[in-house]
Amino acid sequence: MKKLLSLLLVMCLGITLAVGCGKSSPTSSNEDNNNSTSNEDNQDNNSTSNEDKQKITIWAWDPNFNIAIMNKAKDLYTANNSNVEIDIVDIAKSDLEQKLHTNLASGLTTDLPDIVLIEDYNAQKYLQAYPGSFEPLTNKINYDDFANYKVELMTVDGEMYGVPFDSGASGMYYRKDYLEEAGYTSDDLENITWDEYIAIAQDMYNKTGRKMLSTDPNDGGLMRIMLNTTNQWYFDAEGNVNVADNEAMKEAARIYSEICNADFTKITTGWSEWVGAINTGDVATITTGVWITGSVKAEESQSGLWRVAPTPRLNVEGAVNASNLGGSSWYVLSSSKSKDAAIDFLSKTYDQNTDFYQEILIDKGAVGSYIPSQSGSAYSAQDPFFDNQVVFGSFSQWMQKIPSINYGLYTYEADAAIMKYMFDVYSGKLSIDDALKKAEEQLLIQIQE
Amino acid sequence: MKTFKSTLKYLFLIIASLVSIFPFVWMIIGATNSATDITKGKLSFGGELMNNITRLFEMADIPRAFFNSLKIALITTVLLLLISSAAGYAFEIYRSKARERIYNLLLLTMMIPFAALMIPLYKMFAMNGLSNTHSAIILPTIATAYIIFFFRQTTKAFPKDLMQAARVDGLNEFQIFFYIFIPTMKSSYAAAGIIAFMTSWNNFLWPLIILQSNEQKTMTLVLSSLSSAYFPEFGSIMVAIIIATLPTILVFFLLQRYFVEGMMGSIK
Repeated sequence: MKKLLSLLLVMCLGITLAVGCGKSSPTSSNEDNNNSTSNEDNQDNNSTSNEDKQKITIWAWDPNFNIAIMNKAKDLYTANNSNVEIDIVDIAKSDLEQKLHTNLASGLTTDLPDIVLIEDYNAQKYLQAYPGSFEPLTNKINYDDFANYKVELMTVDGEMYGVPFDSGASGMYYRKDYLEEAGYTSDDLENITWDEYIAIAQDMYNKTGRKMLSTDPNDGGLMRIMLNTTNQWYFDAEGNVNVADNEAMKEAARIYSEICNADFTKITTGWSEWVGAINTGDVATITTGVWITGSVKAEESQSGLWRVAPTPRLNVEGAVNASNLGGSSWYVLSSSKSKDAAIDFLSKTYDQNTDFYQEILIDKGAVGSYIPSQSGSAYSAQDPFFDNQVVFGSFSQWMQKIPSINYGLYTYEADAAIMKYMFDVYSGKLSIDDALKKAEEQLLIQIQE
Repeated sequence: MKTFKSTLKYLFLIIASLVSIFPFVWMIIGATNSATDITKGKLSFGGELMNNITRLFEMADIPRAFFNSLKIALITTVLLLLISSAAGYAFEIYRSKARERIYNLLLLTMMIPFAALMIPLYKMFAMNGLSNTHSAIILPTIATAYIIFFFRQTTKAFPKDLMQAARVDGLNEFQIFFYIFIPTMKSSYAAAGIIAFMTSWNNFLWPLIILQSNEQKTMTLVLSSLSSAYFPEFGSIMVAIIIATLPTILVFFLLQRYFVEGMMGSIK
């Protein structure tokens, strides 16, 4: 028994020692961001004293995409600005949102980063729920150079916040060989409506037995793409709920329930099965944001078999063959102690630097929303995987046509409410009108307008 | 009839164990395949293990996160066992009027969801300069109502005669606790130790809120950040999950002999 006790005590002692020695003092980082540089960095940087050193902390997600791209921007900027230290913290998207909410709600600004990545659908939620927490950049960034729809979603009361980053411009990726087998050429797929898409799918299925697409009936992504081909959303321009009487919404719901019930659709669950269906060659098309390109190309054996066509549009007035799914942008926090450095960093890299965008497109397949960059060589390159099509050049053109929409504060809440009732539409229990009415009621209760 | 019954029993058990072992097999197979193969649903071993490992170590500082998690879990377990067992012991052994009331209040705290505590707790720690430290993760978890409750229940089975005898022999109250109680209740400590270690190892929400820098992150946070991506590296994530599950499996197998005993509250 003595042995056990002494073992416990020794463990306790050893561990306490480890805590004591292991980490730098936490108080310094809270009191003064400028002084909290670690020892290693000080040694590297003899030219600047500790006091002028500006530290920029950035929160972002996706180590292979956003973080990797931000690291590139960091290298570019710090090469000319040795007095700035940039620390990029990798946090999963949903975790980042929770952390940001907690920090902002607590009213303490000590732990907030200087720059944060926010998904476009959620931008208005943060900007409007925490007024004054984000820095307006209206005259500091050349917003005219960015895709219009990206600027619109970060505008509140005429002030623009944030620096637009990657685009979720969508396209219809399709297997050229499968569609040719059913007698369709590339021209037959250009600028079609969703009704035409369904007709082609049915015809191909009847002729060849191949399925047209995979989709997860729980996921509202494809429906959001359909909706975004019009200038309508779950909310109107003033941010009021606009679900039950929204013609575009009804049309999107009709198409989506037809697709979910059709025999040319492979029903999948979750992301990996959905992507898996294209890699295995089970389906002929996938209509989604440009960020899927990497996943499509991951199956090298299908090189030369794919092409991309514009997104099919809804059959309503004003709809275009361009849409968007996802995408995110960088925002500067007002509480930042290195605000000027943070803004300067973003403007010198994400604004004003076309070469940077060529690099991230080639390395990471990131399509930015900075229009001047898109006349560059990387955007006009032909891609052998896509039958020598100028893929990114096409996306760049479609991107500029995406209807500008105010996404409102509660896109995901609206999405969840609608998808819940869509199941009754698939099974025929509810008409589309009734389902959307119920979804709207639920949404209104949830957000208590 | 008897053989039929036992065949049925074994058949059921075999199916149940296959179902519960499948995720582990899938995890190990996944670690040897590329992300594309995993999304295609490949169920056989592949040759991508080394690539997945290299990629994982490029994407995240796994050794550091592992060490952070291990450090936090070990300190928490030791402190939690000491403090909560002393509390549970005291609640059972020493009598006072307020005892039951305090005890009931303590149990009530189990009903408060963490989400309600999160913001005030964050404010408290951040204002005292403890944000982004491992102490901030350890401190709120070293005395939990559940483990105190567990130790009070097991103390009921502790033979009071042993205590009386110790008192007669001249041991003071602390000596009784350390020299008589702890060694006698070894299996209870093992059971509580497993629970404490696993809870701490799997702790996610609070570390997420209170830790700010990459250097301080724990395994759970790193795992979560790996899976948030336009094209997740499933193979590397599987490797990371294997690394993250190892300690809990190890702790459980080392202490499982005591675990069942401890949960039953028996004395050796």
